[in-house]
Amino acid sequence: MRAPAPAYTSNEGVIEAAQAALGALLVESKDAVGEVSLTVARESLIEAMIALRDTPGLEYQQLSEIAGADYPSRPERFDVVYQLLSFTRNHRIRVRVTTDEEKPVPSVTGIWPVAGWLEREVYDMYGVLFEGNTDLRRILTDYGFVGHPLRKDFPQTGYVELRYSEESKRVVYEPVKLAQDFRNFDFLSPWEGAAYVLPGDEKAAAPPPPPAPTPAPAPAPAPAPVASQPEAKGAPTPLTADAIVKADAPAAKATKARVRKPKTTDSTAESGAGKPGPEAGPAPADPDVVKKPRKPRVKKTPEGEA
Amino acid sequence: MSPPPPGTLPNVAFLDDINAELGDKGFLVTSTEELFQWARTGSLWWMTFGLACCAVEMIHVNMPRYDMERFGAAPRASPRQSDVMIVAGTLCNKMAPALRRVYDQMSEPKYVISMGSCANGGGYYHYSYSVVRGCDRIVPVDIYVPGCPPTAEALLYGVMQLQRKIRRIGTLER
Amino acid sequence: MADYLDEIEGRTDAGKPEVGDVAIANYTINFGPQHPAAHGVLRLVTELDGEIIERIDPHVGLLHRGTEKLIEYKTYTQALPYFDRFDYCSPLGMEHSFVLAVEKLLDLEVPLRGQYLRVFFAELTRICNHMLNLGSHVMDVGAMTPNLWMFELREDCLNFFERASGARMHSNYFRVGGVRQDVPLKLLTDIADWLDTRLPRLFGDAISLVAENRIFKQRNVDIAVVSRDDAIKWGFSGPMIRAAGIPWDLRRQQPYDVYDRMEFDIPVGTRGDCYDRFMVRVEEVYQSARIMKQCLAEMPEGPVLTLDRKVAPPKRGEMKQSMEALIHHFKLFTEGYHVPAGEVYVATESPKGEFGVYLVSDGTNKPYRCKVRPTAFSHLQAMDFMSKGHMLADITAILGAMDIVFGECDR
Repeated sequence: MRAPAPAYTSNEGVIEAAQAALGALLVESKDAVGEVSLTVARESLIEAMIALRDTPGLEYQQLSEIAGADYPSRPERFDVVYQLLSFTRNHRIRVRVTTDEEKPVPSVTGIWPVAGWLEREVYDMYGVLFEGNTDLRRILTDYGFVGHPLRKDFPQTGYVELRYSEESKRVVYEPVKLAQDFRNFDFLSPWEGAAYVLPGDEKAAAPPPPPAPTPAPAPAPAPAPVASQPEAKGAPTPLTADAIVKADAPAAKATKARVRKPKTTDSTAESGAGKPGPEAGPAPADPDVVKKPRKPRVKKTPEGEA
Repeated sequence: MSPPPPGTLPNVAFLDDINAELGDKGFLVTSTEELFQWARTGSLWWMTFGLACCAVEMIHVNMPRYDMERFGAAPRASPRQSDVMIVAGTLCNKMAPALRRVYDQMSEPKYVISMGSCANGGGYYHYSYSVVRGCDRIVPVDIYVPGCPPTAEALLYGVMQLQRKIRRIGTLER
Repeated sequence: MADYLDEIEGRTDAGKPEVGDVAIANYTINFGPQHPAAHGVLRLVTELDGEIIERIDPHVGLLHRGTEKLIEYKTYTQALPYFDRFDYCSPLGMEHSFVLAVEKLLDLEVPLRGQYLRVFFAELTRICNHMLNLGSHVMDVGAMTPNLWMFELREDCLNFFERASGARMHSNYFRVGGVRQDVPLKLLTDIADWLDTRLPRLFGDAISLVAENRIFKQRNVDIAVVSRDDAIKWGFSGPMIRAAGIPWDLRRQQPYDVYDRMEFDIPVGTRGDCYDRFMVRVEEVYQSARIMKQCLAEMPEGPVLTLDRKVAPPKRGEMKQSMEALIHHFKLFTEGYHVPAGEVYVATESPKGEFGVYLVSDGTNKPYRCKVRPTAFSHLQAMDFMSKGHMLADITAILGAMDIVFGECDR
């Protein structure tokens, strides 16, 4: 590695040792960008963590961090990512479990008491439930806050804002009214495999499907809306009749369909923000394999929004 | 040493006049309004409402190098004793009721200096879901000090601007 | 009055309650969110038995600014200044983690002078941070003078930052691939003079007022003792874990930039109390000065920012001559650079402890997820068990020795 990042003991043999210690509990393991990450089954998280802490040769004594992450296109949309640190071996490892809004993750507060607040934070930000955490209150957001702000379908500016009301002599919540909208530009050029069709382009490409777009992935059968690989940069936007029909269909009802209900049930009904915001557009797919779908230009909705 | 710029030295003739009058009669005559203004501008005790980054600069203004106390502005920890509140830093939704309560506890006449772009209008965090876009949505503000964070000099200038404003408004009822 | 008479005439004894005496219930007091000793906006709900702390429930989030959400909407270049504002007492320490994380994803080489400058200013930041923390800790337990002197030193630090980057506090000086611009030689010589003369004299004087002071020791020794096991279990890092007796310093154990070339000692505590935490930080200031001197001695000439034009902008003069450079500049400041898909967790030794950045990239010009591992979060969580059984007045000493800043705790 050329970057001057923190250097710890090499990853050699760590995956093998983890496989030996965890056995069937280990779902997936990989060594990418110089860091080892393990995926374990959610139900057996506790046993896996105890094994990682106590097995000689692994010895991850400290839990330094629990991070959540949201991938709305997946069936189990949330990742809960644990960063472990070994003092004796001077090594870091990442353990992840996946979950969704309802299935609780076993709490590791019994192993590391520091997990108490870290889990509270993940709950607050994503709504992931932790089974066994006795104090699962909100921690960072306001008292009485509704929603889970770091979910991808939560608008950046939220639904409500504060103001002091001279009439009721107290601070009151109101729907968000912005003097100026957030300026979010689409800087990703359509020549680099953007996931949508530029206005007007559909006419040019409609009659024949592109002769030989070498890496062109067939858009229809792919489960995720965007299936172009990051390497596909520079290749022509894969335009097939299929894709255009799909792109047009939601575009037709786009004007009405603007106010889509967020997936969560805990949103503050129809607030002044009303529109789900630019980020509620296409569902971002797994960042490991695909590029982030971009926001539509003006009124276009992305293709494959079926 | 170059001579100080004009207007920064005390007016000697004026002071001599006052001294002569005081020595002659034993008392001075002035209007209550001027007296109150003099008292108000000369002892602006401020409420430390340090919220975020700007609070550090606010401390720096009080420390020996900038020494805000030469303007009679001394930090107080209690709202009941203070005349001016310096809102230094990002005001978040969770903190806003506390800010208002502290403001309500201050005794009249009370002034507010909003320090830094977050307190002025949200600044770098304007589009966040948990930030009040300007502390003037919660309390009335007299002086806005721009910057992220404003330098210590800028805050000092803000305090001097507030003194000017008090002199200019100059009314007893407020 | 009757009770009082009973008491002085020996008919009752308040020290030995009997059946029929009034039962004393614990009571709860609220500390903050606006309190001068809270180091920001902390609210502690404290349950007291008399003056003894039974339980503390810290309420954080009063400075929750939603930074992690905002970062997801900003390009990598635009997201960097948010890191200044996490821990506003040591801005460059925060930036360091972020630029290292992005560099790790990009696998980007950094010129040697850039690495030296980063280490140099990161250590200056450490001194700057410790001046604030030590000063306010001393002030929280009742001494005023050292704080005044240490803030004078801090003013010097801020002036140095201003001369290097243009801003007193939020320097925004580090860049992915190095630092923003080279520093003038005069600045380096001035800092060297400062390290040799002003810093040891003023700092030594200030510390000599408190380090052996009887009152200061009474307020700090044996307050909030934390054992090694507890320190590990509760996720401590930085001076907190070193005071507990574990010689763990990421600069030494997991060196980044040019820390592997530096020679410095890691101070550790023996008892794990507030006084040890204080003294560990005092010694760290001297060690930081030592590292800075080594940087000055060894710093090579050369570029300070990577020459990879896809990541770092060209020089102004170059832009006036070359079309290519102009295009690079335009692209970098509108679209930014694309970071390959992947995820990293990079932690550095910030002045307060392990400051980590968990960065998930999806190959675009904006982070998909940027989770910050604050140092104060785990320390503050331990507040409950650390202060159990201590007096109410010890809260300020414990808080002061923890070195908490809410910008990063609440994010």
